[in-house]
Amino acid sequence: MNKRLIVGIILFGSLWGFSEVIIGSTIADAGVPSGGIMTGFFAIPFLVFSRLMYRKPGMQLGMGLVAGSLRIFNPFIGCHVCSAIAIMAEGALFELIFYKISFDFRELKSLTTQASIGIVTSYTIFIGGYIVTQILTPIVAGSGFYLENLIFFMPRILSAGILPALIASITVPLIISAKKLDISIKDKLYYPTALSVSALCWILVISSWLLFA
Amino acid sequence: MGKEKTIPIIAIILLLIGNFCAVYVHANQISKDTITINQEEYSIDQIFSIAEPKTIETDEGIKSGISLFDLMNKIGISCPTCNKFTFKAKDGYQQTVDLETLKTGILTDYSRIYFSDTAHALWVSDVVEIEVS
Repeated sequence: MNKRLIVGIILFGSLWGFSEVIIGSTIADAGVPSGGIMTGFFAIPFLVFSRLMYRKPGMQLGMGLVAGSLRIFNPFIGCHVCSAIAIMAEGALFELIFYKISFDFRELKSLTTQASIGIVTSYTIFIGGYIVTQILTPIVAGSGFYLENLIFFMPRILSAGILPALIASITVPLIISAKKLDISIKDKLYYPTALSVSALCWILVISSWLLFA
Repeated sequence: MGKEKTIPIIAIILLLIGNFCAVYVHANQISKDTITINQEEYSIDQIFSIAEPKTIETDEGIKSGISLFDLMNKIGISCPTCNKFTFKAKDGYQQTVDLETLKTGILTDYSRIYFSDTAHALWVSDVVEIEVS
């Protein structure tokens, strides 16, 4: 794995984790369904944009691990274990879904297909993350997993995927259009900028925890 | 069939599943002011008059309500083999805990379960039923 890719994983993973912790927590406090909004407006755009920009397998899995780790460092609002598990699962599921799609999205020519892949990806990774959380969180918490609890809650999980799916039907075509601008950054600027932004995300998240805990 | 046709069809199917489930959840949502505990109906006022008040500390601050363990004892559920307590919410969400976890839990006057020191996933809101097995 090359150095540029590792730095990319840290950068996009940190931005994703930062948005989940700071923006996600604020949205949740306002009583709005933050999970779906965060997946549609932040997780999916970060995942799709990084896929288009770096075109390397495994990157989004790494981003999920970085973002989930950042979520664990800020446990002062909401369920940090559940959120961290959900974020990591979303990164892994994105890798699985996009395994068969080329890295520059050549197949996705029409706007309808681009919006549709946004719906499919967002719906699948959101409900997938939700299900993984429902299975792993009770196990991590030590109370054990009961299949009947998941089965009874499945209709609610499946209905909750509509919001992130509809948001991603707009954000994914926008991200694909933005990539056509073909932005390239020289190494001299790329490494210091990427690492500084990543460090800033971590500092802000950890300091917000220290300030409000 | 190429991806240009397959992907939109999958997207439509997923949206139909989501919408069907939303209708199902809405139609099956339980709306009642009482809590069923082992097939017996109790109002929140009744529950609060039966069980001892308890305050616990969670990572979201201090929470007050009645002791779940005391409630189970007071309504006569104290069999040694009962070790699974399932809390069911009006939207279908449900979580099961063992006796040790139950001992740390409270039920608030707004029908929410809290436990000290567990994942928030176990904090069931809008509880409509407690099943003991």
